[in-house]
Parts: sequence; C-alpha cells; structure tokens
Amino acid sequence: MNNEILFTTNNIGKVYGVNTVLQGINIEIRRGEVIGLIGENGAGKSTLLKIIAGVETPSTGTMEMNGKPFKPFSMIDANHQGVGMVFQEQSLISNLTVAQNIYLGREKDFSTAGLVNWGKMNAKAREVLDTMGLKDISPKAKIRDITFAMRQMVEITKVLDIVSETANDRALILLDEPTTVLSDSEMAVLFEKVRQMKERGNSVIFISHRLQEVLEITDRIYVFKDGHQTAEVKTEGADEYLLYEKMVGRETNGEYYVSGRQTVPTKDVVLEVENLSMFGSFKDVSFKLYKGEVLGLCGVEGSGKEDVCAVISGDMASTSGILKIGGKPVKFASPSDARKAGILSVPKDRRDEGIIGILSISENVSVSNYKRNAKYGLISNIRQDSNARKWVNELSIKCVGVSQRISNLSGGNAQKVIFARVLDSECPILILDHPTRGVDIGAKGDIYSLIRDITEKGFSVLLMGDTLDECLGVASRVIVMKDGLVCGEFDCPADNKPAQVDVVRLML
Amino acid sequence: MQKTETGKFSWRNFLTQNIYIFSAVIVVGAFYIINPSFLSLYSIQNITREMAPLLPMACGIGFVLYSGCIDLSIGAVASAACVITGLYITDAGQWMIILMLIFGVLIGIFNGALVSKIKLPSFIVTLCAQSIYRAVAIILSGGGSKNIGLKQRYLVNWMSEIVLGLPLMFWISLAIVLICVIIERNTALGKSIFAIGANEKAARLAGVDTVKVKTMAFVLCAVGAAIGGLMYAYKLKSSVPAIGDDKFMMAISSVALGGTLFSGGRGSALRTLIGVITVISIASGMNMAGVDPLWNNVVFGIVLIAAVAINSEKGGRDLIIK
Amino acid sequence: MTMRNLSNILGQMAVPLTLATGLTFVLLIGRIDLSVEGVMGLVGSSIALLVLNSRNANDYGVLGVIIPIIVGLIFGLITGILHVKLRIATFIITYATGTIAAGIAVLLYHSQPATAKAQWIIDASQASFLNIPLITWIAILFFAVCCIILNYTAFGRAVYAIGDNEAAAKASGINVTKVTIQVFVLSSFAASLAGVLALIRLKLGQVSLGTDQMFPCITALVVGGTSLAGGKGGMLQTMVGTLIYMELLNFLTIIQVPADYKKAILGIIIIVAVALTLTRDRKTIAK
Repeated sequence: MNNEILFTTNNIGKVYGVNTVLQGINIEIRRGEVIGLIGENGAGKSTLLKIIAGVETPSTGTMEMNGKPFKPFSMIDANHQGVGMVFQEQSLISNLTVAQNIYLGREKDFSTAGLVNWGKMNAKAREVLDTMGLKDISPKAKIRDITFAMRQMVEITKVLDIVSETANDRALILLDEPTTVLSDSEMAVLFEKVRQMKERGNSVIFISHRLQEVLEITDRIYVFKDGHQTAEVKTEGADEYLLYEKMVGRETNGEYYVSGRQTVPTKDVVLEVENLSMFGSFKDVSFKLYKGEVLGLCGVEGSGKEDVCAVISGDMASTSGILKIGGKPVKFASPSDARKAGILSVPKDRRDEGIIGILSISENVSVSNYKRNAKYGLISNIRQDSNARKWVNELSIKCVGVSQRISNLSGGNAQKVIFARVLDSECPILILDHPTRGVDIGAKGDIYSLIRDITEKGFSVLLMGDTLDECLGVASRVIVMKDGLVCGEFDCPADNKPAQVDVVRLML
Repeated sequence: MQKTETGKFSWRNFLTQNIYIFSAVIVVGAFYIINPSFLSLYSIQNITREMAPLLPMACGIGFVLYSGCIDLSIGAVASAACVITGLYITDAGQWMIILMLIFGVLIGIFNGALVSKIKLPSFIVTLCAQSIYRAVAIILSGGGSKNIGLKQRYLVNWMSEIVLGLPLMFWISLAIVLICVIIERNTALGKSIFAIGANEKAARLAGVDTVKVKTMAFVLCAVGAAIGGLMYAYKLKSSVPAIGDDKFMMAISSVALGGTLFSGGRGSALRTLIGVITVISIASGMNMAGVDPLWNNVVFGIVLIAAVAINSEKGGRDLIIK
Repeated sequence: MTMRNLSNILGQMAVPLTLATGLTFVLLIGRIDLSVEGVMGLVGSSIALLVLNSRNANDYGVLGVIIPIIVGLIFGLITGILHVKLRIATFIITYATGTIAAGIAVLLYHSQPATAKAQWIIDASQASFLNIPLITWIAILFFAVCCIILNYTAFGRAVYAIGDNEAAAKASGINVTKVTIQVFVLSSFAASLAGVLALIRLKLGQVSLGTDQMFPCITALVVGGTSLAGGKGGMLQTMVGTLIYMELLNFLTIIQVPADYKKAILGIIIIVAVALTLTRDRKTIAK
C-alpha cells in the first residue's frame, strides 16, 4: 500500500497581486502516509493547504489525485473528490448539536418530506463517532457545551465523514495546526486517530509549529521557506535541530540586517514592565526598554508575546501588573491612550489593521498625528500633503502621488506608509509587530535600515520578528518567551549575535 | 476624475463618481421642461426655503454615515426640536437657538455613547431613541400643531426675509454646510470620522480615540437635526409634531445621492448639498406638476435604493454585510 | 382578570405573535427587517379594498386576499435580492422598501378608510374556539408551522448556521444567498398574514393597520433572548417574549400609561435588553 501514490502537485504557485507567496511546489503523497509541512510564518504552508482543499485556486501548476487531474472549484467539490481540511479557526456552528454539525448541509439523507428525522441522524452520528473512538461525545450535545479539544475531534470526524462518502479510505485529510489549543492528553487522542486513519489507507498532511509533534506523527516532512519548498526529510532519524536548521536555512550575515549601524543602547529606561499578567495568556512578564534600543521578543506563536505587545499598545487589558513610562505608572484603556503616552504600533495584519484602504496615502500618514499639520485647530491639507510627500521621498515609497489610495500600493510600499505614520506621530516607543511580513526582499532591506535610523534618533523599538533570524539580526537584546512566561534573555551586540540554536532551545 | 487601479478609464467609475451632478441636472432639467416656471425666481425662492431646514439635517447625518453607522432618529429629533421651539420661543426668544444646540448635543451624546461606549448597533439604538424623542414631541404638543401667536411672529419672521434674492434661512444653511465642509476637510475630528468609517480597527490601532470620535459624529448629527427642527418652526411659524416623520427619508436620500458610501469612509457635505437640491427639486417639481404629495415616500424609497446601490463599494465582495 | 379581558388580550396577541415569528428567522441570520410595518399595512389595507367593502364596488372574494399576499411576498423577495446582490445593509434596504410599501398603501387610501363588509371577514372576526379568537388560533398555527420549519428542516439548521458563522455555513455547502432571500420572503409572508389578521380584527382597512406593530415585536424578541447579532434565539424564546410583552402591555394599560409613553418605554426596554444580552470587549466594533 505504501508505494501507491495518492496525490501529487506539479509546480504549484500562488500570486496575490504583486506578491508571490508560493512558487514551484512539487510534493507527492503516498497512501497511508502522514506528511508534515514545516516552515516559519508566511512560508506558504497554509496557502498550499488552502489550494489543495479548494479554498484558493493556484496561480500556476496542476494537481493529481489517484492519477487523475484534481482541480476543485470549491471546498465542497474537493470534499467529494476525497480531500478534506480541518481549519485552524474551527468551522463548527456553536449553537447546533454535534450530529447537526457533522451533517450540516447534508440533512437530506435523513429527511422524509423535508422533515429531518433527528433520531436517525443522531444514531448515524453515534455510529460515526464510535468508529472514531469518541465514545464520550454525545451526538445531542451542543458544540458550545463541549471542550475545545472535543470540538476539534468533531471537526475531524465531520471532515472524515464527508470525505469518506466518496473516497473509501483513499482520503487526504489536511490538518492546519490542529494541536495549538490541545493539552498533551488531548493531543495523544488526536494522534491515535491520525494513526487509525492512516492504517485504513488514508493520508494526512499535518502542519504544526511544534516540531516535536511533527517528528512524532509524520513519516516524511517537507520544509518550506519564503514560498519555496527547500527540503524533504525522512522523519526516521531526524531530530528537532536538524529540522530547525532546514527551516531557517543558512544564517544571514550581519550586513543584511544593517548591523553595522546597530546602536548601543543607553541606560535611560523609557518603558518598564513589572509582573505584567493577562489571565489565560501570559504571567509575570517583567522587562525594561532602554532609549535607542531594539528589544526583540522571541517565542513560538501562542507563547504570549503577541498579547504582551497588545497590552503595552493599549489594544488589550492586562489582569495585573504595572506599566511605567519614564518611571510613572500608566494605564491604557485604548490604543489612543497609549499613543498619547508615546507608544504606537505597526500592526501585524497590515491589510486588516494597518492600512485604511479607501483613504489616500496622505491621510494614512497623518492619521496618528493630525495636529502636526494644524494651526489654530484647523488642518492645512496643503501642509499635510507636503508632509506626506516628504515621507514618500524619505522612505522612497513608490506611488503616483500622495493622493493615491493606499490600497493600490504593493505590500512593501504600504508598509512603508505605515512606518511613515508611526514616525510622523513622534511617539518615542514603537512596537513593530512582524514589520516585514509579506514584504519583498528589497523593501525588507529598506525597513531594516529604517529601524536603524529610528534608533539612532533615540526612538526605542519593541520588535516581534517575522523570523527568529530577523529578530536576532535586528535586535540589540532579545527576550525569549514560552508558554506565557519569560524564560530567557540574550544580548545581541552587532558583532556577537547569539546562535539561533541556543535561543530555539529555550523557545521549544 | 478617478481612474481605476489599472489606470484605464471606466464608465462605471465615471458615472459613480459624478452621479450627484448628473442626477441634479437631470431632475432640474426635466422639471424645467415640464414646467418652465420651475426656474422662476419665485419658484427658486420656494425651493431654497424648502431646502434650508433639510440641509443641516442631511449634512449632520452625513457625519454618522461617514463613520459607518446610521441614525434613524433624526426625524424624531427634528420633530421634538420643532415642537419645543414653536411652543417656547415666546418665553425664550432667540436664546432658543442656543437651547436647541444644547438639546442636540445632549441627544447626540446619548445616542453616541450607547453606540461607541456600550457598543450597541446604531440602528437599534436610534430606532428606539426615535420612539423616545417622538413621544417628547407628541406629549409636549398634545399631538397637534400649534401656531405661534401673531404678536410673537416677529421672533421668527426674520429668518424668512429675502436677502440677496434668497431667504435668509437658506444663507444660514449654506453657512452650516460650509462649516461642515471645514470640519470634514480641516479638522482632526472630521478626518478621524472618515478614518473610522474606512477601517475602524486600523484607525483604533493608529491611536484614534474611536469612542470619542464616534460619539462626536452622533453629536454633529443630532445638532444638525435639532437645527433643522428649529428652522421648520421658524419657517412654518408653528410647532408641528409630525414634521420630522418623512425627513429621515429625504435627508438620507440626499446624502445617498451625494455619493456617500453607506459602509463609511467617504462622502462630503458639498455633494450632500447637491443631493438636497435634487431631492427638494423632486418634491417641489412633483408638487408643481400636480402629482399627489403622497407619492413622495414611494419615490424617495426608490431613489434611496438606487443611489445606495450605485454608490456601494463593489470591492469587498467577501465582506458579510448585514 | 375577567374571561372577556383574557379573550381580548389573546386577540391582541395574534398580530405581534405572527410578526415576531417571521422576524425570528430574520434576527437568527443576524439581519433585521424594518419593512414589516409597511408590508403589513399594504397587504391588510389593500385586501379591504378588494373584497366587499364600503369604498368601492370590488368583490373579488378569495382572490382579493391572495393577490395582496403575493404582492407582500414580492416585497420580501425584492428586499432579499437587493440585499444579497447589491450588498446593501438590511436596515437601510428594508427601511426603504417598508417606506415604499406604506407609501403605496397611503396612495390607495387617500386617508379614507374602507370598512370591510365581506361576510367571511365579519364571521371570522367573531369566531372563537375555547374562548380564544380565531385569529389567535391562526397565529398559533403559523407559529407551530414555523416551529417545525425551524427545528425539523435543513432550512432551519441553515438559518442557525448562517447566524452563528456565515463563513463556516458557506464552507459546509449551504447556499447562503438562497437561504437569506428565503428568510426575507418568509418574514414578508408573516407580515402579510399579520395584515390579514389585523384586518379581520378591526374590519377596517387603513394604512395605520401596520403602524407601530414592529416595535412590540422587536421588544418581544429581544426580551425573549434572541440576539440581534444572529445565531441565538428560537421559537420558544419568541413565544416567551411575546407573552412577556403582552403582560407588560396589559400592565401599562392597567396603570393607565398614555399610548405615547408606551412606545418610549418599549424603546428603553429594547435598549436595556440588548445591552444586557450583547457580548462585547475592548475590540468589539459596533456599527
């Protein structure tokens, strides 16, 4: 069974506007095989899964399933051809019961004269749940009343049931980070199910940030980096550090991150965080941010670093702890309060939270500090535009003019506009949340030198890097977080950056 | 003229961008052809007198729409303002104007705080608030119109004086439009309102005080409605509790005809001015052509749907709009 | 409370219950239908003009009922299509279609009400079973049918799914566009039926048949615990809410609150009920 090829992709690629997110992917999956996909954020793993699941259409390339061309036009279509995906964000309806969710959209099978026979549906659901070994889950329980892990199981059961209608144990199941929210024992149950599916001849593609899990469950692993497939590893004989090495590739030299201009931080504390906690996310986080330094926050997704930054920028509320700016305790009810106190962030999700799409570049630059171009309370649009033009020149933003809509710019240029905004606000403390995400190489370089400019001028930066390499390369000091706790700190002077493996050891 | 992303000229865009001019020209032109006296000085004076109270209402609700919300209560606010003005102007004199401004501010804070702070959907808040303000109008007036006594007419007549060929109250409304334009284009508040309407999440993270700004949008709206109600009292020289009933429809149709995006982020008081010209021309023109005024609601309902449909942003196909 | 009083209250309940039943579906998918008053007024009043009446010589019998109801359904269909195809928010589109419907009704009447003289209307208005008026039985029957539709059909599940998580519903193969339009047609049918019931009750065709009818329904729905955000609520909540509303109305009448205050009080009750049931945090965006 193991040599029969179930699914292949040929030169699959995906382009969004001007950004290529996936290029030349050739993977091959045999029956009864569990494949791992690993890579850093934005490497293109999720995009590939979405293409296979029929959610997105590939820009280039073809796919084959069971030797026949596979070209799903929707997720439902992919389901009927034997491919099912379990999403990161669960797609269950919380107000319906387990059985109703499993058969949502397929009620016809249980209906007579348009009326659904719930008894029959529940009995069938019971059967299906039993074959999955989920004896504890009642088909009549509402989704909102069962645990998150159980929901995950129901979701998998649902997908598997839809797919097996047609696939007959020749299904391909896609799991996108199914373990993020599961406890160890729940994970063990999930893996048991994956093994059962595999034994029956189904194949699984598994994405996870936790390399340990990938090693535990998979047979073979594909490594992705920047939208390319960079390596293929047999799980047998591999270990975490080998995988990590493959993931980050070679370590880039200091020049890439303009380390020559890295500042040596002063001793002035601008921001002090004391025992900051947020229930359910992070606990007792304490650190100091000095004037003119780039402090990197490292940790896997879900380590709590994002929420720490969200609290500091006023976006979320902490449950306890103190925040001090210039020695004075502050409390923020909103990002607006934080801005007034001198903290502003460059958000991670640029399209959704960064750019104000239908407004012009000029408006986007000035939104955090309208007053700068005002006299007697009235804003001069001429001054505002010329100020925006100054930033466009300074950051070499490619655009037709400052009245162009920001949504028409490429990712890199739009990000530079956001940088212009935070710099224009004159806030001395900047939080950069994945500032180079979805930005092409050229613009990345510009952003790195920009960060050097900023710190030379005495601004302080709290950085969450897109990759660990970037975080270490740009920061002058990094804090490592794991499971909501600070678990280490490294100095990163320009000439003596810590080795990635040492940092990774603390992260995992 | 706006070009599309590809830089090519598109008829659709051209039409969408300039619909407010076209519709005004077509409507005014059509009624002129039907009845040439439509553009006589007398008729124009009449039309501008009709426009005057509607302008502040339309410009006011514009701010709420720029922020992406809705205010269904402006008609009821205008009714209440008209009733209060008509009944008590004899006691208050011209202080009434100040009182009505304060009335508008208070109502705006109430509506706005429920939406921005308590985070209730604006349509439900203002739908309910409408019933409260309408009750105020009906209870105070006892349900019927009351004329301002002949002896006190001098208190309100000045607003209907003809200055430079047009009624004074129209010039006042034009000044209000100008103030709205300045707020939109030259103040942090106005620009923040647009930013919130275009992308509230991003505006919030960029440090815009969304609670304050949204509340202020509702305040501007309610003040506009209160001024509108006050002007109706001055214009009709009486307190009319039902005056606002059809005014929401007319105001919002004007704003829609002016090309304001109902999902927020785009619009301008100047274009709303053209929209008001169109709407009042339709109403007056139909009246002059002998069409039953009862047709107004049907016509404005259709105008509103058409205008909103043409202006809606077609880019966000995946957005779930409720 | 006398038997007569109770019977009166039950008679009053027919219209709100019918409208609330239809609106339940709309609220469950997270939309709103502000056109029910207009559609109800149009359908009820135009029936009065098409059956034997005091204003004209028409006597179309059953057709006189069916045609207005079809017109009502067309309003729902148009509303639904405009909403899903042009992507206009429902509160604005339904406000407009409701105004158009009411406007047409006004044009039909020119403020001269018509008394319905058809024998079946007179009979129906007096008929009762177990001391409960016929129109209330019709409303209860409609309610029961909708209970079955909501709880025992694929359509009902789709309604919940769309309200809870539209993207997930779409991913499960539910035709969101179709279901949404169907919901608006159902709501307009409820409004049309309510128009018929109101006409039977009053025997008088006038535009104000529909006036002030939506507010009680929204009160009933939100007090019953149906969420404006969609996905939460059901027929049981609608029934409980309607009963609470009727009790409240009765109470307000007993303590002699004038009619004008009643609506204002209902408005405050809705705001409070919505505020209490809505979940929100710092990041919630209200539009």
